[in-house]
Amino acid sequence: MKQGIHKSKGGLIRSFVGTENGIIDDISISGDFFLFPEEALSKIIEELKGAAAKREEIQKNIEATYKKENIQSPGTTPSDFTESIMKSLE
Amino acid sequence: MEEWRFIDFGPVDIRDMMAMDEAILKGDEGNTFFFWTPKKSIILGFFQKAELELDLSQCQDYTITRRISGGGIAFSDDRCRQINYGVVGTIDNDLFPLDITKSYKQICGILIDTLIHYSLNAAFRPINDVVVDNKKISGNAQTRWEGKLLQNGTLLLDFDIEEMLRISNIPIEKFMDKKIASIREGLTWLDRELKEERNMDEVREVMKKKFEERFRVRLKPGTLSKNEVELAEKLKPKYYSSEWVYR
Repeated sequence: MKQGIHKSKGGLIRSFVGTENGIIDDISISGDFFLFPEEALSKIIEELKGAAAKREEIQKNIEATYKKENIQSPGTTPSDFTESIMKSLE
Repeated sequence: MEEWRFIDFGPVDIRDMMAMDEAILKGDEGNTFFFWTPKKSIILGFFQKAELELDLSQCQDYTITRRISGGGIAFSDDRCRQINYGVVGTIDNDLFPLDITKSYKQICGILIDTLIHYSLNAAFRPINDVVVDNKKISGNAQTRWEGKLLQNGTLLLDFDIEEMLRISNIPIEKFMDKKIASIREGLTWLDRELKEERNMDEVREVMKKKFEERFRVRLKPGTLSKNEVELAEKLKPKYYSSEWVYR
């Protein structure tokens, strides 16, 4: 898997994404960003499994988890995570 | 005047310290300000992966653990010239705003006031850095738990850039001198700014005084409560485990 690296204002986001038939089946996200509550990153990851590996789908999916889990991530937005994931998919 | 607990843990194993850090946040002793001096160590941010950030073959004489807050690596070489602090406080009031960046700014104010005391041009750089002439001199990391915040941070008195690069997982570059020069442009430390080595106790005393002024409280020396000690003992195995550090 290729590492996708994207730097947001809040920190560096590293992601590794695997797909099968255009569907995300394996994903890891790490980096030096901040995200509250911390446990919610695993929720973002869980929700992305099974999603279509397309920019719009990914962004909507992450935005939904942000809303559901009441996530705050100063300096980092759902589009920053999306950008890192898209770079891994390139 | 309101009294807050103050603890100086001194030189400490970083795994024990992170257990006590979490115990203070999750304990019931209220607002606390504390210092510790890390031994040779690396603390990973909550979301970092050790094997992506570090060249683990170069880190064998370092104690490595992970903290419960996000952000980047806190690295301490064997010179140990950095002041690490922690603040635990109840949020959503004048002292500790609910807004994350505002609360960072408020607490980072202690460091800025301290650096200004030494006539340095210090400022807050959102989200969580303190800079002198736009060079980072202090990194800070915050987490929150049940209406309280825990902020940890470090004030660099000295820093070994070459050692940091040696343990980092970055390709050895042809132009290492250029890499070092560029880091020197973005990062600084107190000894370098003042062109002399200040006594660490003296700097800590200034920080305490600035803390008392900023928060309008009196710091009263104290210790961990029985509950906190018990909680820290329960938390310690996590900070020593490879499941937590290398996950």
